[in-house]
Amino acid sequence: MIVFKSFLRVLNKNKAPVILFTVMLVIFGVINFTSNDSTDVFTSSRPDVLIVNKDVNEGITKTFIDYISKRAEIIKLSDNESIDDALFYRNVNYVIYIPLGFRDDIINGNKPSLEVKSTGDYQASLAQMMVNKFLRVVNVYSGDFNDEWQLINYVNSTFSNETNVEITSKLDVDSLSRMATYFNFMNYTMLAGLVFVISIVMTSFKNVNISKRTTMGSMSYRRVNMYLLLSNLVFALVFWLVCMILSFVLLGDILFSLHGVMYIVNSFIFTIVSLTIALLIGNLISNKNAVNGIVNLIALGSSFLCGAFVPVEFMPKSVVNLSRVFPSYYYINSNELIKSMEVVNFESLLPVFKNIIFMLAFVVLFVILINVVSWKKRRFA
Amino acid sequence: MKKVIEVSNLTKEYKSVRAVNDISFDVYEGEIVGLLGPNGSGKSTTINSILSLLSFSKGSIKIFGEEMSPNLYEVKRNIGVVFQDVAVFDELSVLENIDYFCGLYIKDKSVRKEYVEDAINLVGLLDFKKFYPKQLSGGLLRRLNIACGIAHKPKLIFLDEPTVAVDPQSRNNILDGILKLRSEGATIIYTTHYMEEVEILCDRIIIMDKGSIIASGTSDELKELANIEEKVSVHISELSDEVIEKIKSLKNVEEVNYNGDVLVVIYKKGEDNLVKLMDFLSKNKIRYDKIFSERPTLNDVFLELTGKELRD
Amino acid sequence: MFIHNFKYSLKTLFKDKILIFWTFMFPIILGTLFSLAFSNIEDSEKLKVIDIAVVDNGNVVFKNVFDSLSDEDSDDRLFNVRYVSEEEAIKLLESEKITGYVLAQVKPKVVVSNNGINETVLKYVVDEIIEYQSIVSNFLASSMHEIRLEDIQMSEFVLDIYSEVSKKMNEEVNIHDISSENLSYTMIEFYTLIAMTCLYGGIFAVVSINNTLANMSFKGARVSVSPTSKKIVILSRLLASYVIQLLGLVILFLFTIFVLDVDYGNDLSLVVLTSLVGSLAGLSLGVFVSSIFKSSENTKTSILIAFTMAGCFLSGMMGITMKYVVDSKAPILNKINPAAMITDAFYSLYYFTTRDRFWFNIISLVIFSVILIVVSIFSLRRQRYDSI
Repeated sequence: MIVFKSFLRVLNKNKAPVILFTVMLVIFGVINFTSNDSTDVFTSSRPDVLIVNKDVNEGITKTFIDYISKRAEIIKLSDNESIDDALFYRNVNYVIYIPLGFRDDIINGNKPSLEVKSTGDYQASLAQMMVNKFLRVVNVYSGDFNDEWQLINYVNSTFSNETNVEITSKLDVDSLSRMATYFNFMNYTMLAGLVFVISIVMTSFKNVNISKRTTMGSMSYRRVNMYLLLSNLVFALVFWLVCMILSFVLLGDILFSLHGVMYIVNSFIFTIVSLTIALLIGNLISNKNAVNGIVNLIALGSSFLCGAFVPVEFMPKSVVNLSRVFPSYYYINSNELIKSMEVVNFESLLPVFKNIIFMLAFVVLFVILINVVSWKKRRFA
Repeated sequence: MKKVIEVSNLTKEYKSVRAVNDISFDVYEGEIVGLLGPNGSGKSTTINSILSLLSFSKGSIKIFGEEMSPNLYEVKRNIGVVFQDVAVFDELSVLENIDYFCGLYIKDKSVRKEYVEDAINLVGLLDFKKFYPKQLSGGLLRRLNIACGIAHKPKLIFLDEPTVAVDPQSRNNILDGILKLRSEGATIIYTTHYMEEVEILCDRIIIMDKGSIIASGTSDELKELANIEEKVSVHISELSDEVIEKIKSLKNVEEVNYNGDVLVVIYKKGEDNLVKLMDFLSKNKIRYDKIFSERPTLNDVFLELTGKELRD
Repeated sequence: MFIHNFKYSLKTLFKDKILIFWTFMFPIILGTLFSLAFSNIEDSEKLKVIDIAVVDNGNVVFKNVFDSLSDEDSDDRLFNVRYVSEEEAIKLLESEKITGYVLAQVKPKVVVSNNGINETVLKYVVDEIIEYQSIVSNFLASSMHEIRLEDIQMSEFVLDIYSEVSKKMNEEVNIHDISSENLSYTMIEFYTLIAMTCLYGGIFAVVSINNTLANMSFKGARVSVSPTSKKIVILSRLLASYVIQLLGLVILFLFTIFVLDVDYGNDLSLVVLTSLVGSLAGLSLGVFVSSIFKSSENTKTSILIAFTMAGCFLSGMMGITMKYVVDSKAPILNKINPAAMITDAFYSLYYFTTRDRFWFNIISLVIFSVILIVVSIFSLRRQRYDSI
């Protein structure tokens, strides 16, 4: 009890930075989560297109705009700078500038021309395909039909035939990837939160311990450490619980699905991993000032390299291979596996179990290291 | 004699607490004045007020005859301060630390070099010149702290508890250094709660409690304030109440205390008190381990004046 | 006195290993992480060759189209196609070996497992085949009255139209791409990194001010009782802080330019100006934090770091979209966020050809710095304190 009380006391003493840090993490998590929502490229197959029409909004020009609107998300922005901004930040993938006389060119059987701005990514390629197709079809007809009404009819009838597409998957991709986003970000939250708080407490404890040694004289070093470990464990669990409560608030009852439960279990295992990492670091460093640097290095480093912020499939192979040395890789890998899991059964969960075993292996490794470090420190202190 | 510091009616209030309550005192050239008092008695507040670090509610402070203010650089040039806490740069070596702080007072590089050497010699850190603070023991660190405060050869030196938590060797070095500074003509204000140091060093002592000066004077003058002449302590393992009563009735005895282990007999005046007590004890066949006589200490004075111990 | 203080300030700050780590090493490590994580992201967002299957049932049109789109030598290659039976196609789809498969029949059908870009591309191509048929039949219908059956063989006529349509469909269209070449949005990450370094540099100012104020440290008290004016001590120390800050920034610039290949646009003098002003903002932030808050140095640096991190987060360090979202939804937030101002200044230099926006950011940074410094001066001017 004395140890736990001291733990709380130390925590209380450092409450300013601890609260600051926790609030920051929560805000980061929420903002990151809510803003990511709209930009998830995987669920959308409609590119974001912006049309600047200098021509009349009638006849074949209108047909063109309608054609694009039907197949793309139309973004509306007025001034040039906002358009350029939107293009740079990929809020718009493709900008089409329709020049004055576009309509007349088509009616007169001339080849119309367009100016475009493109981000060059696959969304933009898709938009490019659309525009190309329209211009070609118009091109085919306009030579032979110069009656605009007839032309429009033919163009529309051509595009009215769509392929029948069947989707085999029954997955709720949208909410699953929302969950994956949240839990992937938790990699950062967990590591940063636990490493920060626990190392602050551990470094302070080393000082408190000296004066406390007399009052806890009856307790062996081993027991003090044991209680300290327990206190940290309790803290880690509380921190994890807070993250879970937040996830319920943000995600709702989809967490009660089989997929949701898997995410929760996975994050729990990772909490244990983070705890041991935090303890190891708390044991290694004795300078409180160094805590901030180490926290950011570990939390940001492994989050970036293992795909908590940027999906792994976007990263070079060599980096992904390198990231296997971090436990975060296995945690995030499991999240991604769960995201695309059609049926949850033993067979499909096998790779997830494998990842859990890897994470537990890290726990064992870190516990051994913690013991080695604290044993060495005691001997050579 | 020239007055170096004149403090009159100094009062300093924090929110609701009066940390220093209407105190006045003077310090004369060449004196070592001890400022004595328990923690929180207002010693540091007084010194910080004199140094213009703290604002104060009432009173006036003159140093070298001038009203003290933060911009009085000519006066400040002649003051040296050694604070309670070690205030040195961990990133600078012993030599660099002293040179840096000395440089805030002395512009001339060659003069400074000489002064820094003198300071290093004074505190005996010659062998540690190139060391960094982290490599120094507590005592050596304190010495460095002092060197940083006095390297510019000030005429007026404030030493705020310079010997807290210091090993005996360093303590002797520090005390010797202080006496040497005085012999070179410096006036020194010394705060501490080690009474022995005050008795060795100080020409005059000011005792503070709860923000007020409760007594001042030389060590002997102060001791006269305490109604004690002699204090005899005897280690006795067993003593009956009857015997204690008998001792109380002995000649010159003022007070008798027995805590089951040590018998303390306080005499107001008289001679041969110790011999008489020993006679009495042997007559009554009382065996004792140790017996010694003490002159009253400043602690006794403080106890007498405030009813509490100087050091808690 | 100024030189003396300046010299020793440089020495103390330089030897503070934790400080140097924060301002010199941390950004370099973080930058390396960024470059590792992002080096591929823009390439991987380009359309890749899509694996598909066609259940062709001997349909020549489909085979022609998909073969030409799967031509390995073509720059416009879209697909990697295999012709299989339906059972096999289902298996391939289940094992995620293909994006989807096409059932080539009179009314063609596409089967995919998910929504997505690749799936949409596949659908578009099949759409095009249908559209072809539609065009040909439209032409047929409109030309019907010209046909005299005795003159021409029907199939020949259809083939004529077909080749005519094909020819026209394959003509180049006039689309001019006028987008800027500098569209690499991952650059923002590195700009936030520079912003972070500028603001973190404020730590030097925090330490310097803390060592100068009597109510913050005994070292400060020591300085205060000396006959050196506070103004000189503070200015010399801040100048030393600024110099070290800039040195760290120079190292970071060299590293990002020569090792990480970051593009800062073409105007070097304006890049230098941005760094100078950005560092000034960091410096004034440090001065502000250390003179306004009366707490331990540790807490002050925590506040500075938290502020910097939050600022960089809003400027897009942990996701570039964040900057755009804030800029468009709550622009005021980034108008007062120095990290966003610095990031946006670099962005303007890199992306825009006009300089209005750049100067707006520079002026905002100057105003930010001036406000903080003026507020700090009120607190710094005090020489006597109520308590220390």
